[in-house]
Amino acid sequence: MQYYQNRNMTHVQELGKSDEASTRPLDRTTLEQRFDRLIAANGPALSRLAASYTNTPGDRDDLVQDIAMALWQALPRFRGECSERTFLFRIAHNRAIAHLARARTAPLATDEADIHDTAPDPETGLARRQRMERLRRAIHRLPLEYRQVITLSLEDLGYGEIAEVLGISESNVGVRLTRARQILRESLEE
Amino acid sequence: MNIDTELEVWREQWQSDTVIAPDLRQKVQRQSRFMKIALIADIFVTVTIGGGTAAWAIRSPEPEIILLAVATWIFIAVAWTFSLAVNRGKWAPSAQDTAAFIDLSVRRCQSRLATVWFAAGMFVIQTVFVLSWVYLNSPARRQPLLTWLFFGSIPIDLVWLSTLAFFGFLIWARRKKRAELTRLYELRKKLCGQL
Repeated sequence: MQYYQNRNMTHVQELGKSDEASTRPLDRTTLEQRFDRLIAANGPALSRLAASYTNTPGDRDDLVQDIAMALWQALPRFRGECSERTFLFRIAHNRAIAHLARARTAPLATDEADIHDTAPDPETGLARRQRMERLRRAIHRLPLEYRQVITLSLEDLGYGEIAEVLGISESNVGVRLTRARQILRESLEE
Repeated sequence: MNIDTELEVWREQWQSDTVIAPDLRQKVQRQSRFMKIALIADIFVTVTIGGGTAAWAIRSPEPEIILLAVATWIFIAVAWTFSLAVNRGKWAPSAQDTAAFIDLSVRRCQSRLATVWFAAGMFVIQTVFVLSWVYLNSPARRQPLLTWLFFGSIPIDLVWLSTLAFFGFLIWARRKKRAELTRLYELRKKLCGQL
């Protein structure tokens, strides 16, 4: 937990250097630099998050682009009220919800094809890939309220950050996470 | 397996997926440009049609031309007023908590549904006005109205075809938005009912 707090402090210190700086509109170059830095640092996380809400790589890429667009539009209004990471994941989750609302398929529809981990050697890339894919599918099958907390937790966000991203209490995060892990464990053991 | 170890193992597996969509900034900038172009196109159409009829009325100040210019500007004013009214309070940034975002999405969806009805009404009124104006101010007046309307000319046939296409589009858009609204209500019940 201390790790999360320290990291949050660093973000806040980076972002809230002075009141003047936080209220001044960002020029385009600064905005582009900030956008690039956020995407470079969190691109894979965004892609994983998007994959947990979509069924195909094409849809995943569309959702990532949608998130990036929303980030680009929201960045000029960001005044460091929370960490950049929290801000980014909040946008990402909101866009993912919008995607679910627009999607033709039911929100929780997934490809039920099983991934059989046939590689005897756990060190091979294929086996690792299969384990990751199995985990991703199991997460995809989780009810939405649990999927949200587990994906954020797997991205190293602490309870406080998850609560901020989703707009729920920390105790609610704890309850959901415990339940999510239980369902996930059962799903992976099947 | 210890619970924390279990979470760490999952974390490691989860984070081993490092796919990243390339050229995100370029794509985002391209999309931003398209959005600006679309806005400019809206303004351009307004200025061209409104300005065109106004210029025509100034150059040929006959009653029917003035009527056309005035009606065009009334249509434009009504359309922009509706657009501004229906979008008021719905421009908020995406970065809010889930409950606020879903509420905003529901209101946007309801606005789109209202827009569908508005667009249908405006289209009917404008089409009736324009066809009446053309009929009364052209040699077509010598023909019986129904003959002119249904067998008059290719441009009139195109009006009917575009009417069909437009209403087809509106029905599709309404179905799509109603389905989206239903899903948003479900999501709100699922996510926000527990907050």
